[in-house]
Amino acid sequence: MLEVHDVSFSYDNEKLILDSVNLQIRRGEITVITGPTGSGKSTLALALAGFIPRVIEGAFTGSLLIDGENVEKYLISEIARKVALVQQDPESQISTLLVSDEVAFGPENYSVAPSEIQKRVEVFLNAVKSSHLANRPTYALSGGEKQRVTIASMLAGKPDFLLLDEPSASLDPKGIQQLQKVLLGFKNSGYGILCIEHRLATILPVADRVLRLSKGKISRWSGKTSSAKTTPVEHFRRPDSAEPLLIAKGVSYSYGTISAVRDVTLSVYPGEIVALMGDNGSGKSTLVNLLAGLLHSTDGITYIDGVPSIEMAAQDVAARVAVVFQNPNHQIFERTVQREQYLIFDVLDSLDEAPSERPEEVLLAAGLANLKERNPFSLSHGQKRRLNVSSVTVHEPLVYLFDEPFIGQDEIGRNFITQTIRKRGESGGAAILVTHDSSVATSLCNRIIFMERGSVLLDGPPKIVLDRLGEIGYGEYADLGVMS
Amino acid sequence: MTIEHQSTESGSMLHRLNPSLKLAGLIIITTGILIYPSWRFSGLLLLLTILGFKVSNVPLHVSKKRIHFLMAFSALLFIFQVLMTANGTILLFIIPKHDLMGPFLPVTDFGIEKGFQMSLRFLLVVFSSMLFVSVTDPTLLAHSLTRLKIPYRYSFALVIALRFLPLFDMENKTVRIAQRSRGISISVQGMSRILRTIRYTFFPLLVSALSRVDALSLSMDGRGFGHSRTRTYLRKSCWTALDSAVLVLLSTLLLASILLTLGFLPQISAII
Repeated sequence: MLEVHDVSFSYDNEKLILDSVNLQIRRGEITVITGPTGSGKSTLALALAGFIPRVIEGAFTGSLLIDGENVEKYLISEIARKVALVQQDPESQISTLLVSDEVAFGPENYSVAPSEIQKRVEVFLNAVKSSHLANRPTYALSGGEKQRVTIASMLAGKPDFLLLDEPSASLDPKGIQQLQKVLLGFKNSGYGILCIEHRLATILPVADRVLRLSKGKISRWSGKTSSAKTTPVEHFRRPDSAEPLLIAKGVSYSYGTISAVRDVTLSVYPGEIVALMGDNGSGKSTLVNLLAGLLHSTDGITYIDGVPSIEMAAQDVAARVAVVFQNPNHQIFERTVQREQYLIFDVLDSLDEAPSERPEEVLLAAGLANLKERNPFSLSHGQKRRLNVSSVTVHEPLVYLFDEPFIGQDEIGRNFITQTIRKRGESGGAAILVTHDSSVATSLCNRIIFMERGSVLLDGPPKIVLDRLGEIGYGEYADLGVMS
Repeated sequence: MTIEHQSTESGSMLHRLNPSLKLAGLIIITTGILIYPSWRFSGLLLLLTILGFKVSNVPLHVSKKRIHFLMAFSALLFIFQVLMTANGTILLFIIPKHDLMGPFLPVTDFGIEKGFQMSLRFLLVVFSSMLFVSVTDPTLLAHSLTRLKIPYRYSFALVIALRFLPLFDMENKTVRIAQRSRGISISVQGMSRILRTIRYTFFPLLVSALSRVDALSLSMDGRGFGHSRTRTYLRKSCWTALDSAVLVLLSTLLLASILLTLGFLPQISAII
């Protein structure tokens, strides 16, 4: 059994992140921990894996025990033989260029004989259903494949306990189902597994127990799901006279020889909130960039508010379209939260015309009003994402294009982003939302565009599209569509 | 560096060479043209490097914009050297004599030679480094350096650097797109705008890089990196007769450039 006794931790000696936490992880059991952003879930995982206090500095009290033995004096490499931690972003954890090298990396460090390493590479790649990836370069893997390779590489050291921090965050429904199968297999093999998850629905089917961490304290999860609306939105009726805000006509785009978007034609009208869905790698993010005029199509043409996007200056696009990318760090540019919020007015040379209340109101709604003087890069992931949304929508552009905005968001963050999108649709604008979550699609959106290998496979009202997806072999999109 | 530039597969003769030998080759070529800066010598080695691309089937046109930039930069170096070097026999003036004015900006034979020297040297260093990265498997490089008694902590620094090159290349593109999405255009008009452009580019890249470094460091520690002074390797580099032959060639090249620099090979130095 892996356990922490009476563990408290603070990064800055002031704010307590973990407050006298007691937790046991048993072999052959999947434990899930949920809780709001910033509640200390990842910190708890770091403490369970021994990184706190050995690698990460702060005020730590309490003890970590493995099979009843206090491991206070153990080095991190000794604890790592028993406990493996898979962090949130698999991309950042891969240290070599070849999948088999990556899985071999751990055993090599422990001077395991090459013949035994070869066996482990085969066994653990097979365990995560990825034997076919052995000779693939790591940079060419999809998000789901990277996730599975990272798990295999952690398990190759033969630990007894596996800790996973938001393993389903960027997986499509197929990837989530594969992950569930993989975790069930490990559980049956006797591993003790801890999963940290915001999207509880993705992991509930295989969980043995669910706990909640809030304000540094652990408690049993009450079983209540989010208060967010899950009732389908009313069928959207497009006004006859409306002109489309976004148009794509026969648009294609390739990265080198790889075709990402193929011959897509669509229009988005005022009042529409569109869920852009599809498997990882189906071209959703590329299509968003094309519609936003940020990439120029190799074939076809896109229009924003009636103007060909290729003819528009960056400022003209920014005035009309708000884009939120997957990684919040990529679109933060200023030194304080407040400056970031006012950046768009500076860029548009309209600082003097900026409405005095609006930026403050949006910051307040985003829960960032008391952090105005903070450096944006020092915010938590969830706060950064809310700042992204507030800073790109503060000037109320016509169209919002959000790429998986709910990743890593707790209920407060989800509600803020949901309300922002909903208001845009209600006030005559439009929004496109890249998501894998069909409950978001049915509760927030009035249209789903489903992509397959760069092309639009289905386009229509959410219920009709989801029903049709079930019929043509994409049933997992409906099965996993429960908002946590 | 683009993704397509990196290779982990053994294919051509250059791919199969021992990684440490390829690193030594890169160092010898760079040292050779530094100590004997003849433009003909640099041009000859550049031709051999381009031949290396061909032999190893590494496309040199994978990133056309980048190659164009490199060529343009090398041309700029040439022009700068020609204009800044007044020594030598004057061939012509950029601005000829007009009435009582001029002539200005003389072009000399020595200036042209120096221009070729600088631009070819620049192209050689960049292209030979690109070729090295393209035909070298980083994991095997780490192993071969370990066999040369270099601690694996240091040799893995190279592996990590090569692993993250394509990632940072992609991130750079993403940040550029994110800048455009916020209406930020790259501007070099005035110091404040230059500084703002630098800040808007490097802040996001730096923060992203640092967060990745933290995650990678935990991931490596969590897999026992540094557990003991030695480690095993699943894939190992090997030394073949071909490596020995190439080593002899490279040693000869290094020796020749030293002798040429010292003036011990006057007949050859008259040619190159």
